[in-house]
Amino acid sequence: MRGKDVTLDSVSITYPNGFTAVEPTDLVVEAGEFFSILGPSGCGKTTILRAVSGFIEPSAGRVLIGGEDMAGSGPNARPTALIFQNLALFPLMPVWENVAFGLEARGIGKKARREKAQELLDLVALGDQGDKLPSELSGGQRQRVAIARALAVEPAVLLLDEPLSALDLKLRQHMRAELRAIQKKTGVTFIYITHDQGEALTMSDRIAVMNNGVIEQVGTGDEIYSHPRTAFAASFVGETNRFEGRIADVEAGMAQIETPLGRFRARNPDQLEPGSEAMLFVRPEAMRIGGDENRFEAHLVRRDLEGAFLNLFFDARGTEIAVHVTNDGHAPELHDAAPMPLGFAAAQAVILPRGALARTGQELAAQ
Amino acid sequence: MTDLSHTPPRRRLRLLTADGLLSAYTWAFLVFMFLPLLLMILSSFNDTSPPSVTEWQGFTTKWYTFFWMPEETLRADPVLRSLDRDRFVSCFGNSLYVAAMVVPLSLLLGLAGAVLLTRWRSRANSALWWVLLSPMLAPGIVLGLSALVFWSRLGVDAGLFTIVMAQTTFIAGYPMLILMARLQRQPVELEEAALDLGATPFRVFRRLTLPYLAPALASAAVIALMASMENYNTTMFAKGGACTFATEIGAMARNPNGHPPVINAVGTVIIALTVAGALLHTFLSRREQGR
Repeated sequence: MRGKDVTLDSVSITYPNGFTAVEPTDLVVEAGEFFSILGPSGCGKTTILRAVSGFIEPSAGRVLIGGEDMAGSGPNARPTALIFQNLALFPLMPVWENVAFGLEARGIGKKARREKAQELLDLVALGDQGDKLPSELSGGQRQRVAIARALAVEPAVLLLDEPLSALDLKLRQHMRAELRAIQKKTGVTFIYITHDQGEALTMSDRIAVMNNGVIEQVGTGDEIYSHPRTAFAASFVGETNRFEGRIADVEAGMAQIETPLGRFRARNPDQLEPGSEAMLFVRPEAMRIGGDENRFEAHLVRRDLEGAFLNLFFDARGTEIAVHVTNDGHAPELHDAAPMPLGFAAAQAVILPRGALARTGQELAAQ
Repeated sequence: MTDLSHTPPRRRLRLLTADGLLSAYTWAFLVFMFLPLLLMILSSFNDTSPPSVTEWQGFTTKWYTFFWMPEETLRADPVLRSLDRDRFVSCFGNSLYVAAMVVPLSLLLGLAGAVLLTRWRSRANSALWWVLLSPMLAPGIVLGLSALVFWSRLGVDAGLFTIVMAQTTFIAGYPMLILMARLQRQPVELEEAALDLGATPFRVFRRLTLPYLAPALASAAVIALMASMENYNTTMFAKGGACTFATEIGAMARNPNGHPPVINAVGTVIIALTVAGALLHTFLSRREQGR
C-alpha cells in the first residue's frame, strides 16, 4: 500500500441553504502523512472530509488526490476509504464479510476475499473473530474491524471521522497508539478529524486547527502548542492564560504590551505595531511563582491536585490565572492567602492580534 | 391492583370506585370483542341451520366436513344439499390466485415507494407521500368502480384481472408504510460506507438494504395476503362475473332464510389459523431473542 498526497485548491463549500461550511481553503497533505484536522464541532472539518471522500462536491475549487482532479468522481471511484464516526459496520454480515465487502464490490472471488480478509484481521489482531457478527464484538474490536474493512480496498488515503469518540478513555488512549502503528506499517495517508486536542497532538505528524470554516494554522503539534499563530489556536489547543491590552513598544521580534496588570514583554511574531489591540498568551506550565522577567501580584484561591501535578488558580485583580507546578512539596498552600509574585519569561509568552477565542468549558456548559 | 392498606378510608373508597370502573370497562370491552366470536364458534358445532346457540340440536362437525364429504352424504343432508360446493371451492381458488398476484405486486410497488420516500430528499416528497397513500384512504367502492371504468375503457372485461388491479392500488400502501418505518431506522451511514468501499448502488441495495428489509418484507407479505383475501367492497365492484372467497361468503350470508353454518365453520378455521400464526410468530421471535 502507498499513500497519496491530497491537495485542496481554493476549496470552498456552501450548502444549498446558503450556509458556508468551508471558506476558500488551500491545504496540502503529504503522501504517507498522519494529518489531523482539529476544531470544535460545527467548524467545517467533517465537511472537508466528505469533500475529499466524494460525498460532497466543493462549491468552488478543486480536490486533487495524487495530483489527479477528483471532480465528478463519486465516493466509489476515489482511492479513499472513510471510517465513520459510528463505524457503520454492516450488522447482518459476519466480520470477515464486512472486511471483504470492498473486494466483493470489485468482483474478487470468495476464496481470495476470505484470504485477504484473514490477512487484514490478523493485522488488527482479530484473526479468530472472522465468523462473528459485529454485534458480538466489543467496542474496541468493532473499531479495528472498521479499520480492517477500510484498509482492505488498499486506499491511498484513509479518512477518519472522530472514530474514537464513542470509546472509553483507557481504550481510546490505547487505540491512538494502534492507529499510529497501523499508519506507520501501511504507509497510507491518514486524514483524521477530531475535536480532541489530545488525540491530534499524540498521533499526528501535522495538525490543522480549524474554526468557523477557516483553517487558522497548520503545523506540527509542537509548533501549534508552543507557537500558536492566532488567538483561536492559542486558546483551543491546551490551556492558556490570556492578558488583553495594547502594544506599547516594539523591538526586534519582541513587543511590550500594556495590560491592566502591568506592562509585559513577549514574542511578537506578527510584528504588531505600537497602539494595536492585542492579546498575550502564556501557558500555565510556563508561569513561575516568585516572578520572572514579567511579574505581577496575585493570591491563591484554588488548589486542585492532579497527582504528579498541581493546578493552582490565582486571582490577580479579578483575572483568573492558572499555574501548573510539579507536586514536589514546595507548592504554596491555600492558607498562604497573602498576595505573592507571579511571572513568566518573555520567550515563553506570545503576543497575537486580538481575535476570536475558543469557548471555555464554562461557556460550553452554559449552552 | 392498587395496594390500599396504607390509604385513608375516604381516599380508599375513591380508588376502589376508580379501579372498579376500570375493570368493568375492560370486561365490557372484552365481552363486546369476543362474545360474538365465541357464539360463532359454538354455533359452528350445532346441528341446526340457520346457526343458533340457543336451540342446541346436538354436536356435529358436518359444517366443517362439508368441504370434503362424499357426494352421497352431501345429497342426503337437507341443508348442505342446496349449497354449491364446487362453486365455493373455485371462488376460494380465485382468491388464492388473486392474492398470488396482488402480494408480489404490492411488495414491489410498496418497496419502490418506500425507498423513494426515505432516500430521495426533495420538496415533492410530502406531496408524493399523499399521492401514494391516498388509495388507502379512498373508499374501497370508489377504487373498485374506478378500476372497473378505467379498464373497460381500455377494452378489458371485468374479472380476476380487474380485481388484482383494484386491490393492488390500495394494498401496496401497507407494505410501503411497513418498509418505510424500517428504512427510516437504518442509518444512512451504512449505505454511504458501502458506496465508499466501491459498491455500485445496485449492490448496496442487494447486499445491505434488501437483507435489512427481509423481516419487514415478510410481515408486509402476510398483511398484504390477508388484506387481499378478506377484501370485499373493492372486489365486489371490480369482479364482474368472477367471484372470490369473500364475495361468495357475502353472497351466502345474504340468504333470506338465514346463512348456512358452513360460514361459521369457515370463520372458526380463519380464527384458528390467525391465533396459530400469532403464537408461531411469538414463539419464533422469543427464540430469536434468546439466541
